Amino acid sequence: MGHMAKAGGPSAAPEAVRLELRSLTVEFGATRALESVSARIVPGEIVGLLGHNGAGKSTLFNVVSGVFPASSGDFLIDGIHVGARSTPMDMARLGVTVIHQEPALAPNLSIIDNLFLGQSDLYPKDRTGAAHRALARVGAALDLDLIVGTLSLGERQLVDLARGMLRGEMKILLLDEPTAALGRTETVALHRLIRNLAAEGVTVIYVSHRLPDILDVCQRILVLRSGRLEVDGPASQFDGQTLAKALAPDAKVNGFAAARTAGPESIGCEQPDAAISCRAGEVVGLFGMAAGEQFRLLESIFGLHRRFGFRLGGRRVAVASPAQAIRHGIHLVPADRENDGLISGASALDTVFLPWYRDGNHRGFWIGPKAGRQVYARARAALNILGPGSSAPIDEFSGGNRQKHLISRWMFPRLPRVLLLAQPTQGVDVGAKADIAQAVRALAAEGATVLVASAESDEIDLLCDRAYVMNGGRIAPVDRTTGFGGKLLSALLELSDRKSSKEEVA
Amino acid sequence: MKLSVGEIKTFAARNGIFMALVLLIAFFSVLNPKFFSTGNAMNVLLQVAELGIIALPLGLLLISGAVDLSVGSIASAAAVNAALTMSATGSIVLGFAAGLLFGALAGMLNGFLVAYLGLNPIVVTLGFLSVWGGYAMLMTNGRTVTRTELPDGFREIGTASIGPLPLRLAMLIAAIALAWYVLNRHRIGREVYAVGGSQRAAYLMGIKVTRIRFGLFAACGVSSALAGIMLAAKVQSVSPAIGLNLEMSGLTVILLGGVAFAGGSGRIGGVVAGLLFFGVLRNGLVFLQASPFLQTIIVGLTLVVAVALDESIQKIVKKSWENRGRAALAERSHPDEDTQSPTGLALRS
Repeated sequence: MGHMAKAGGPSAAPEAVRLELRSLTVEFGATRALESVSARIVPGEIVGLLGHNGAGKSTLFNVVSGVFPASSGDFLIDGIHVGARSTPMDMARLGVTVIHQEPALAPNLSIIDNLFLGQSDLYPKDRTGAAHRALARVGAALDLDLIVGTLSLGERQLVDLARGMLRGEMKILLLDEPTAALGRTETVALHRLIRNLAAEGVTVIYVSHRLPDILDVCQRILVLRSGRLEVDGPASQFDGQTLAKALAPDAKVNGFAAARTAGPESIGCEQPDAAISCRAGEVVGLFGMAAGEQFRLLESIFGLHRRFGFRLGGRRVAVASPAQAIRHGIHLVPADRENDGLISGASALDTVFLPWYRDGNHRGFWIGPKAGRQVYARARAALNILGPGSSAPIDEFSGGNRQKHLISRWMFPRLPRVLLLAQPTQGVDVGAKADIAQAVRALAAEGATVLVASAESDEIDLLCDRAYVMNGGRIAPVDRTTGFGGKLLSALLELSDRKSSKEEVA
Repeated sequence: MKLSVGEIKTFAARNGIFMALVLLIAFFSVLNPKFFSTGNAMNVLLQVAELGIIALPLGLLLISGAVDLSVGSIASAAAVNAALTMSATGSIVLGFAAGLLFGALAGMLNGFLVAYLGLNPIVVTLGFLSVWGGYAMLMTNGRTVTRTELPDGFREIGTASIGPLPLRLAMLIAAIALAWYVLNRHRIGREVYAVGGSQRAAYLMGIKVTRIRFGLFAACGVSSALAGIMLAAKVQSVSPAIGLNLEMSGLTVILLGGVAFAGGSGRIGGVVAGLLFFGVLRNGLVFLQASPFLQTIIVGLTLVVAVALDESIQKIVKKSWENRGRAALAERSHPDEDTQSPTGLALRS
């Protein structure tokens, strides 16, 4: 690695622009994932990119790294126009490196094999020397022969980064949630590395849900909302509160009843890290980090982890499997709908009724083509499901309508006592979000308890009467008042601050 | 309504085996007019009766995402057990009981290892293909149990008939009806498709994934045993290799019938058509006086072609879901697409 990115150092040419976006627009069918986004980013700048899921962060990354082209508009790297037909390989050659949350490495190969994987020259001269220098540059003191699968996530990210450096001059580094699963010390080390790279002239774009991390390392902040660039300003202008506000500007309160008459407790836990108590008729949010502990709590209640004890309708229960949970009236809509929820090829009707065929009049011994039609029609009307008929395979429906089927499954054939929803409105359009919210409210009004786990404050805001914020083994209740979304985020900040100060003492 | 190229392709992919069957029958009929007769049709059906009894539950097992390669050896070993019991006791009932019980146990053993211990079904049942094949040889010393050692009544079973319907054909029809009922009208059928489509999603729905798989392996064991004993009744003697290659023929039939090797899709109608295609092919080759060695080659080639077709059928069907879904949306012109890339290339956010 003889050539470092010295040419574009910030002091050398202050007015040089490394990445220029010119009214970049990306359309998928009728949806605009990015709408006329323009920005100029100079060498050595560390830019925080914020926005909720579906706001367009991934789309922007995908366009800049050549995964797919923009529908209109274009972008320049070092003043050079990037063609619409550039592939990820072309962009890598132009110096664009993407580091994903889960590094794309071969877990069964050694570090050194991974470093040169996908390079034009698998066995260059001085292979080990180059590998050592790249690892040293990212500050990883690792044996080259270690198998990647045995490394921690933080170490794998460093190997991935070193791999990016071996490809040639690194100009733009895109980081997608790099710290989501890292501990405090690993995060600090990564941030130091990012600063060093920036000092060498690398432009860094940093996507994260962890606002403290963004504020720690970034010099400038961009906020995307529904594909539009809404905020662009120096990081010094923001603190946790204002950043949260920039993300979710108007928390509207409509029809949420602090006044709603909730019944007796239907589900509750004592564990200090999951002390919750929810009543019949309530929609309660569980808010935390991406892939955080709130999802694990839902899974535990559903019987997916070791026997997990909790109170259900005043009785102590321990659920050991999903089948048991379902018998208790606990239903789960999982976060990963395509892999954990839907069966490819199953009809729309079967998608809703698969768990319930044992229940009908026929007891599962004769399921005619008309079984369940009436309930299905009711679900379809209630959730405003659009698309082909009930006998069409579920795969023919669009994402939002597939999600509505999944939610119908756990709502209509049998009324749940406790409905667990993991990011129920993730990746669905605004109209579908409203339909889902309406159905969830109606269900609560019938006396069910609904728990919504999410890493998106606006999702909690959309659905819930109140919420618990969970992070680092701590839990704190947040009531629904004006600025609910902002309060959730600042509560999360507070919890993670306490966590980090505790760790630093330790 | 105008049919698009894609729709025609999808239709052909889903129903190709029926058309291929008609073409094959036409082909042999042209080459030899005697081929197309009621008598010969009955021949074909009787030739594949036992194969069908094995292929139907095996098809269900494949739809659930597993496979049993030991069916042929279980058939041999069950037939041997039945024959030895009958020659020792003279009782046909005890003979059947010994054979079927063995089949059930062998199937449950496969099921236990695969469903409950999570071992790979191909490797486990490949092992038992050898184990039970060897067992059948060991019990008989490689010798065929001849007709004189078997009770008289047993020999009559192979030629018995219910009214005008031969017993063996009646059993095939019953097996088809039962498989159709279980797969299309019983709860278990839906669960079989679900388990084959996604084990994890099925588990999260409260479906007893292990129980379904276990049950299907047991059913395969019992039906293989029944098929082995009936084959013995047909040829009126029991060779320890009586079930040789039945797993090959069974898989060929099932894959020809459009069942996905990866699980999750398949129809009984397709398996029956695959069975008939296989029967007609073998029978037709006999009519053409092809060498039996050539027949083996052609049967093997059919299996390879069936696997190749399986791949492309699944691709075409998936593609058609996408297209029809898009068309359905466009008709309503409702902006109901999510913000993910349509190609599925979107990165996680």
